Amino acid sequence: MFMQLTLSGLAQGAIYALIALSLTVVYRSTTVVNFGHGDFVMAGAFLSYVLVVLGGVAFLPAGALAVVAMFVLGVLFNRGLIRPILGGPHIGLALMCIAGGYVLRGIARMVWGREVLPMPPVFDMPPIFFGSLVITGDAIVIISTVLVLLLCFFGLLALTDLGKMVQAVYQSPRGARLIGLNVDRFNDVSWGVGAALGALGGILVAPVTLLHPDLGASFLIKGFAAMTLGGFGSLGGAVLGGVLLGIGEQYAGAYLDSSLIEITAYVIIVLVLFVRPQGLLGRKAVVKV
Amino acid sequence: MKMPTARQRRLRTILFWAVPAILLLVPLGTNAYTQFIVNGMLISTLVTLGFTIVIGNLGQLAFANTAFFGIGAYGSAILAAKLGVPWLLTIPIAGVFGAAGGFLASAAALRGIRSYYLAIITLAFGELMRWSYLHAKPLTGGTDGLPMPRETLFGTSLTDDTVKFYVFLVVTVLLVKATANLLASRFGRAVMAVRENEVATASLAIPTSRVILVTFIWSGFVVGCAGALFARHIGHVFPESFGMLHLIASFAMVLVGGLGSVLGAVLGAVMLTALPEYLRAFPGMEELFFGLIVAAVLVALPMGLASLLRRLSPIFVERFYREAR
Repeated sequence: MFMQLTLSGLAQGAIYALIALSLTVVYRSTTVVNFGHGDFVMAGAFLSYVLVVLGGVAFLPAGALAVVAMFVLGVLFNRGLIRPILGGPHIGLALMCIAGGYVLRGIARMVWGREVLPMPPVFDMPPIFFGSLVITGDAIVIISTVLVLLLCFFGLLALTDLGKMVQAVYQSPRGARLIGLNVDRFNDVSWGVGAALGALGGILVAPVTLLHPDLGASFLIKGFAAMTLGGFGSLGGAVLGGVLLGIGEQYAGAYLDSSLIEITAYVIIVLVLFVRPQGLLGRKAVVKV
Repeated sequence: MKMPTARQRRLRTILFWAVPAILLLVPLGTNAYTQFIVNGMLISTLVTLGFTIVIGNLGQLAFANTAFFGIGAYGSAILAAKLGVPWLLTIPIAGVFGAAGGFLASAAALRGIRSYYLAIITLAFGELMRWSYLHAKPLTGGTDGLPMPRETLFGTSLTDDTVKFYVFLVVTVLLVKATANLLASRFGRAVMAVRENEVATASLAIPTSRVILVTFIWSGFVVGCAGALFARHIGHVFPESFGMLHLIASFAMVLVGGLGSVLGAVLGAVMLTALPEYLRAFPGMEELFFGLIVAAVLVALPMGLASLLRRLSPIFVERFYREAR
């Protein structure tokens, strides 16, 4: 029982980690918290659904296509709507993200109406029995995909020159501009990567969940909870927070009450912000006067 | 920006009272459906007003507005349906419930949870409230919602939209006037000073914590009262009314009218209440419409319609109001 819960928690947590990470990538580059990110996740899931069910494309190329499309969308969103108001107040930026998300949601609902759509099973392999532990194909695919992705992501950051450039922009966008880095393009790419990673989260859950245009909202809150728990703005913290949240939800649902699964994230947000606002891995914010 | 002269200020006062006086005649020209929509406009006005003073005037990124609204609506419905309190009496009580919600939100802000953190924690607060409407079944009726009891007011049934209209109008005018006065006072100046620079404001011996606290509580009170009106307006309180779509609609109303402007709150609410009624038949159009309108206003007219009117005539300049940079 305990191991089973931990495993399904890990699979869920891997998705949350991906979403929290993608939110953090956008936040660190442009200091914008994308309140429309849940709808990017939804859009990724829906694009893959359209390609697979209506277009007859196989799941793998469909997913890849959806990720690329969402990358382009993220770049365009940043260029067209975020950059013109980037110097303005936070409220405007937050509202712009929400507005963008709603446009995506509106489009999804225009096409699919108010129905709830199941994706045809994709990871159709027999579950592996390991003692009393049942390991489903979905869990294997989700966990291994996210694991490989995270290794590549953090490997790139830690080992390459690209990683050093990222560090430079995070520390001081102005300083990075002075030494000749193209910060505008960096921001574009960050938004693209953020949108693509979020969409990948959506694509990975699409086969194991029911699809509807509102599915992004809960993922957004889960992403926020993971970020807050791990430390807002910390890349590693986002991943750690996501995994802990996924596992925590399963335990809370099984050992306390099943209706608690939905609100674990909210409770975590409220508790962490009141008790330890910097989260697990974040640094304490210094208020400058 | 030109400030209004004494004569223009007098004219403005006359205009302020002339509008509701003319509105008294509205039921003569409406049928049941249009009256229902007009009633909805009055409620939206209060919701937008309560929202704009926190995000526009105080400059705090707090999204708890939908939570205040739901608390007010459920507070009123539970009092009326379970305890038999006359609905009219539940309006101020719902306001107090909303104010308690405002107190909680300000507690977060005063603990230093600001900016995006405040946005996230207030979003979580709103969703936690919605979860409790769904799960506190004995009190809220869960997904089935809570019907408002039938009542009469001075011998006429409270299911009649015209009767509701007059009650709504009185409540709305009182709260709009009170808010306008509050913002035009020394206190209102302090609110906007906190938005511009909290530390500098504190250095002038203005108790910034109290300013934040009172603004949130007043916002909660106004929106809580609106919730009580809403409960009577639709006659049946459902959890879905207090979700994210309500939030984006409020955002759109605040922005289209003009952040931090009382006049803007009224304009935005009136303009954007009727339109979605016609879009409701087409799935997705509501969201698309609100999303596009918010994006367009943010890029093209960041201070909303009120800023256009201000340029037109000093009559529309609100005291201590300052264009954002």
